[in-house]
Amino acid sequence: MHSTGLNTNQIMRQVIYALVLGVSVSYVFFGWGVIIQILLGVTSALVVESVILAVRGRQILDSISDGSAALTAILLAISIPAIAPWWVVVVGVAFAIVFGKQLYGGLGNNPFNPAMLGYAFLLISYPLQMTTWPIDFLSFSQASEVVFNLLNFDGLSGATRLDDVKTNLSLGNDLSTLHLHSVSQAWINIGFLLGGIYLLARKIIAWHIPLAFLLGIVIMALLISIFDSQQHLPAQNHLILGGTMLGAFFIATDPVSASTTPKGRLIYGFLIGVLVVIIRTYGNYPEGIAFAVLLMNMTVPLIDYYTQPKVFGR
Amino acid sequence: MLNFEFPGGIKIDNPYPIERVEIIQAPLPTSVVLPLQQRIGEEAKPCVKVGDRVLTGQVIAQTEDAFCVPIHASISGTVSAIDKQLIPHKSGLKSTCISIDSDGKDEWISEQGCGQDFLHCDRQTMIDYIQKSGIVGLGGAGFPSHTKLSKAFDCHTLIINGTECEPGIMCDDALMQHHAREVIRGVEILLHITGAQKAIIAIEDDKHEAYQSLLMFNHNARISIQQLPTKYTSGAEKLLIKALLSIEIPSGGFAADSGVVCQNVSSTKAIYDAVIDQRPLVSRIVTVTGNALSPINVEVRLGASFEHIINLTDVNNKAHDYRMGGMMMGVDIDTIHMPICKITNCIFVNNKTQKHIAQECIRCNSCNPVCPIGLLPQQLYWHAKSENVEKCIDYSLMDCIECACCSYVCPSHIDLVSYFSFAKALCKKQTAEQHKIDIARERFEFREYRLERNKQERAEMMAAKKQALKEKMAKDKDKNQEQKDKIAQAMARVKKSKEDNA
Repeated sequence: MHSTGLNTNQIMRQVIYALVLGVSVSYVFFGWGVIIQILLGVTSALVVESVILAVRGRQILDSISDGSAALTAILLAISIPAIAPWWVVVVGVAFAIVFGKQLYGGLGNNPFNPAMLGYAFLLISYPLQMTTWPIDFLSFSQASEVVFNLLNFDGLSGATRLDDVKTNLSLGNDLSTLHLHSVSQAWINIGFLLGGIYLLARKIIAWHIPLAFLLGIVIMALLISIFDSQQHLPAQNHLILGGTMLGAFFIATDPVSASTTPKGRLIYGFLIGVLVVIIRTYGNYPEGIAFAVLLMNMTVPLIDYYTQPKVFGR
Repeated sequence: MLNFEFPGGIKIDNPYPIERVEIIQAPLPTSVVLPLQQRIGEEAKPCVKVGDRVLTGQVIAQTEDAFCVPIHASISGTVSAIDKQLIPHKSGLKSTCISIDSDGKDEWISEQGCGQDFLHCDRQTMIDYIQKSGIVGLGGAGFPSHTKLSKAFDCHTLIINGTECEPGIMCDDALMQHHAREVIRGVEILLHITGAQKAIIAIEDDKHEAYQSLLMFNHNARISIQQLPTKYTSGAEKLLIKALLSIEIPSGGFAADSGVVCQNVSSTKAIYDAVIDQRPLVSRIVTVTGNALSPINVEVRLGASFEHIINLTDVNNKAHDYRMGGMMMGVDIDTIHMPICKITNCIFVNNKTQKHIAQECIRCNSCNPVCPIGLLPQQLYWHAKSENVEKCIDYSLMDCIECACCSYVCPSHIDLVSYFSFAKALCKKQTAEQHKIDIARERFEFREYRLERNKQERAEMMAAKKQALKEKMAKDKDKNQEQKDKIAQAMARVKKSKEDNA
């Protein structure tokens, strides 16, 4: 006897629907590159997943249709720059699906968030391609020419917003002179925030991780700014820059690799937030969500073990 | 302030509600099959032979196990067979049963109970009547009532469970609506037996008619009728106690240890029959429900086949899925040619559907918030699947009440509770084996110790003997010397006197 609530496939689809708003905003600012990356990612995810399922001698159609591979691909594709060469997303997705998920036994058995594993892999391997974002809206033909290496993209791109901030801060420039409120990033974050609120309302994700995550970011950013307010980003900027909202509602909440107990989820989310700010501030990479999530994935068994809820009569 | 709540659980409405809850009397079955194995304890031994004529209510099988109750003929007629037959159990195994062919007369054996004026009887007499009449928990657990009652010495509160354990089942609702007087009298008997100061009849707030009719017949100040929010698993004894009294029975403990006794409302009515008239339990009310028919509640003789009462409904003639017990904790069955027994509270007849295929667990943890015990089903599933008994016990598997709330909400349609009952059996087996190993080891160690001790004792004894011998010898030597001295002295004296004389 089962409830008539959402099943696993429907949950995956709902998460994909919730991403639509953020992706649309992203499209408005960066153009067709965003869509091309997603299509490339999803296609390669389905191909790679089918091949490895065949190698493992599993039912291909049942597993493909659960939507988890597509979701991983979309999350990775929207995390990488819209004008990255086509092979970046293909390699990243293949790594995520093969090493991040299937080698552990497929859906439900992976200790790490596959999309973030793919992202970290790409960031380490191809730092240049992973940090160059378009500075303007690109039409379909422009975007496809750039992505498929037919056009030199020098004139169309710049460093990521967070990278920019960091470089300027390290050069000793005053924060106030910088155009900090990068409009595009703020709007994209709002898009993902609304998508996240939709997931909360549909009870597809629990509030614990996103809230603790954002709280972790704010508290850590405040702590750092107490000591050095001139050299570092204020808390409110941390919230609307980079992949904060995507991370809070769509990445840290991946149920498979996250903590599962109510208390554990609070600890898990909070520490990811703290790590994100630390990596953004002191790390070599502009964005810290992938590394923060992966680091905390490792601690999940420990957190879960020590945060077991009280059992009736014990 | 009590909020009549416990954690977890799910609000599930009756999937097939009916306008008016009536009790239909099923016609006398032409034959009955009565299993000798009861829910708990050893198999009863038949005290009739094939060909014997039996009366309704006559004891046909007895057991010496004080835990068990005798088995009564549920119709009058002739014993037609004593052999192995399919019984309604999740194992799907056969077990020894007594079959009786009806003579259509339904002649009762004549017995006398305490009578309507029961207050002059002492508690042991009443408990004896309850045992002799074969009363067990009719809610589904089948725990013998007399065992529970004879433990209840220092009891302050009596709880009558009228919460109807699972959505869809209406037999207790029907009983409370139509036998409210007997229920209230039954509660008075139980108050007398247990010596409790107060009794609470717990009833879910969606059963208005039952609540009203109980209120109408209750004139006893010690009995209160308490409505509870309708939520699945509120029928579980420990959770009900928690909701009503805010007492949390410790894990592994019994309600009686905390001064509470729980009885099902149908059992209470059966206890009334047993004590007043010494009328044995030969029938029960069964809900027949599902989407293939209009649900009914039937009072039917025990041992009649499932088919016998399903035929009383307007069941359609499509292919069906059958299930006995509730929609949550029940068991899917392949055949309806099985006898109704004391714990058969409900039969589901549904149009055949495709079963959901289970997917992988995505650790979404939907299962934890609905677990009334506060377990982590998703982690237990992981450990149960890998048969890691130690981890299962670590995560309190043995506290699982198998209510199936987790299976119900699982988006991957994993039948979690099946994994848990399997792992529980595994744990029990391993614990039993470990116990045996421990005993063997203890015995071995004691033997070693005993041999060692014997050896030492013998050595000590030898040493002591040796010592004693030595001492004795030394003493003897001294004595000899003394004697020698004496002799010498005597000789000297003799010599002297001789010399003197000479």
